[in-house]
Amino acid sequence: MKFHWMLPKGGEVALDGRQTAREAARYRIESMQSTSPAVRPDIVGWTHFARHAEAAGIDSVLISFSRYEPDPFVVACALGQAVSKLEFIIAYRSGLMQPTTFVQQMNTVSALVQGRVSFNIVAGSSSEEQRGYGDYLSHDERYARAEEFLAVCNAFWRANGEVNYEGKYYRVEQAKLATPFIGTAPEIYVSGHSEQSERLALSQGSCWLRVAESPAKLKPVVARTRESGLGVCLRCCLLCRPTREEALKAAESLLPEDARESTTTLKDDSQMYREGGELKSDSYWPEPWLWTGLVPHYGPVWTGLIGTPQELATAFREYERIGVTEFILSGWPEVETVDVFGREILPLINQS
Amino acid sequence: MMPKGGEVGMKTAQETSRVATTKASSPAALPDMEGWVEFARCAEEAGIEGVLLSFSRYEPDTIFVACAVGQATTKLKFIVAYRLGLMQPPTFVQQINTLSGLIGGRVSLNIVAGSSAVEQRGYGDFLDHDERYARAEEFLSVCHSFWANNGEVNFSGKYCRIEKGKIFTPFQSADRSEPEIYVSGHSEQAQHLALAQASCYLRLIDTPEKLRPVVKKFRDNGVEVCLRLCVICRPTMDEAVSAMRALLPPEEIEKQERKILASSDSQTLKDALLAADQVGWMNRNLYAGLVPFYGSSAIALIGTPRDLAQAFMEYKEIGVTQFIIAGWPKLEEMMIFGREVLPLVREAEQEFHAKAQRKNH
Repeated sequence: MKFHWMLPKGGEVALDGRQTAREAARYRIESMQSTSPAVRPDIVGWTHFARHAEAAGIDSVLISFSRYEPDPFVVACALGQAVSKLEFIIAYRSGLMQPTTFVQQMNTVSALVQGRVSFNIVAGSSSEEQRGYGDYLSHDERYARAEEFLAVCNAFWRANGEVNYEGKYYRVEQAKLATPFIGTAPEIYVSGHSEQSERLALSQGSCWLRVAESPAKLKPVVARTRESGLGVCLRCCLLCRPTREEALKAAESLLPEDARESTTTLKDDSQMYREGGELKSDSYWPEPWLWTGLVPHYGPVWTGLIGTPQELATAFREYERIGVTEFILSGWPEVETVDVFGREILPLINQS
Repeated sequence: MMPKGGEVGMKTAQETSRVATTKASSPAALPDMEGWVEFARCAEEAGIEGVLLSFSRYEPDTIFVACAVGQATTKLKFIVAYRLGLMQPPTFVQQINTLSGLIGGRVSLNIVAGSSAVEQRGYGDFLDHDERYARAEEFLSVCHSFWANNGEVNFSGKYCRIEKGKIFTPFQSADRSEPEIYVSGHSEQAQHLALAQASCYLRLIDTPEKLRPVVKKFRDNGVEVCLRLCVICRPTMDEAVSAMRALLPPEEIEKQERKILASSDSQTLKDALLAADQVGWMNRNLYAGLVPFYGSSAIALIGTPRDLAQAFMEYKEIGVTQFIIAGWPKLEEMMIFGREVLPLVREAEQEFHAKAQRKNH
């Protein structure tokens, strides 16, 4: 199994290490405000985290995309100059640039970071945010366009000659790019919970990325995806403490003071966020080690794996048994959690 | 001008002709961090303020080259050339703002409308020359709104529609809230765009007499003027002219470069070829004859350090404020410029300002 991590937001990493789980979580929650330091690149904090991630045995960091934060392409390029092993998964939305430009940027970054780059294509989850980028398509149309977008990209990565494409959303004629991708072609993570995202992953992606759910629920989906030759990557958070009681207490400390607090009101156009919003409180524990209590407030990516190192190692092994191939993890605080993962959980996973 | 990938290590000018760098086997397709960082550090030492990074399908993307070389330098500014129509303006603003935060604000933009219709179609852009400029006008006004406005941006144009646009990452620089914008091109549309949206009009060098009215028009409207040129500087004029002669490549290269120039729909390229063929020496030191071999930006000031310093001052007198310079070989000629020409120019500038002050008193 491969283990990746979320790149912390700008300013999130406390260099002195003094940050409680709650402080780290609050920083993330408030990072969508224009007054947050997260709007600025933070190469010092990121490099600090990246070195810890490399030491912990993490393969890549996912760099998220939104209007609230720096552009992930440029961040990957800068951070790639500072560390030499860690790889970068760049989240990007289709519809923001022409596929030819996207490929030129991806190939350029690959050459500047020795091929350590792949990407996660996202169709967009908020119609308001998309319109701010000049994109007025509906959810389903965005997926149809993403299909064309990736088809053009893949044509560049497969072809040595010129690319010609004529679709509904994109048309390119005699396209050529001199700068090659370093490696064969980037890994393409397609994320989402809708049928359209699954279809897109199957036709154009190399790995389907979705939020962790109980192994029993995921089993058929994972089997179907793996049979088609795709990897499956799960996104979740980690809360690991020496005892289960301590872990539960830490989880509780993350609950908002205001029970109505939500950062997902703008996410009006995503199947994944719709599912998260419909969660009832009696279903917050799909497994003794899987907690969705923060999801109604902050969205499905706040789904947590909770317990002792041994319990979490066992949970990862269960996912491995049903065919999951990769994980993108995060925690509160990020540096401390990645340290614990590398020191206490990963050795147990590799042992068993 | 930043050399293309691999050029810093090339010893002859002939290797750096456009015909050579647009071949599939050219090292120009790949980033050349070693060469670029060496060049950038030498440029900083030579007193060069910024480097222009050119954009085309034959080269790595300029935004990331600036990002990577910017990590390795501290003073040099990067003028990132980018074509419009390749991405949505909010995305562009987000990338440029991010870049500014990562390299201490050392970024400005050279907006190009695109000079080859074939190349543009490969990027999914099917507009003609004039429409590309109309779109550029919209694109830049959206960008300006993002930089000027801390709230939301709303825009409804022919090519671009933005509703409640917000980009949280700000443009970060010690002295500017938005990047300097160079608009280049010789056509009327380019000039119009530069007057409306740019902080600096960038064009090819010509004789001071020819440029005087154009420069005045821009300066009167608060827009600076930057000239693109090459230099060949040697201790004597004879040596400089033989250095120029030594640059001439084989005839076959000329034929191919002529084909590129002739098929372009850019006014700049047409003008440059005409100057080369019909004029040659545009005045005592300005020579257009290299254009058919090295492209439109190869009009060169040729002479001794004193000749060149004098020529630069003539442009300063008519109101030109900036120059983007290249030479052959890229690194060596820049070092000559920094060592021999620039000190003379700086000296003359001081005299020039002292004289102006005396006049005012």
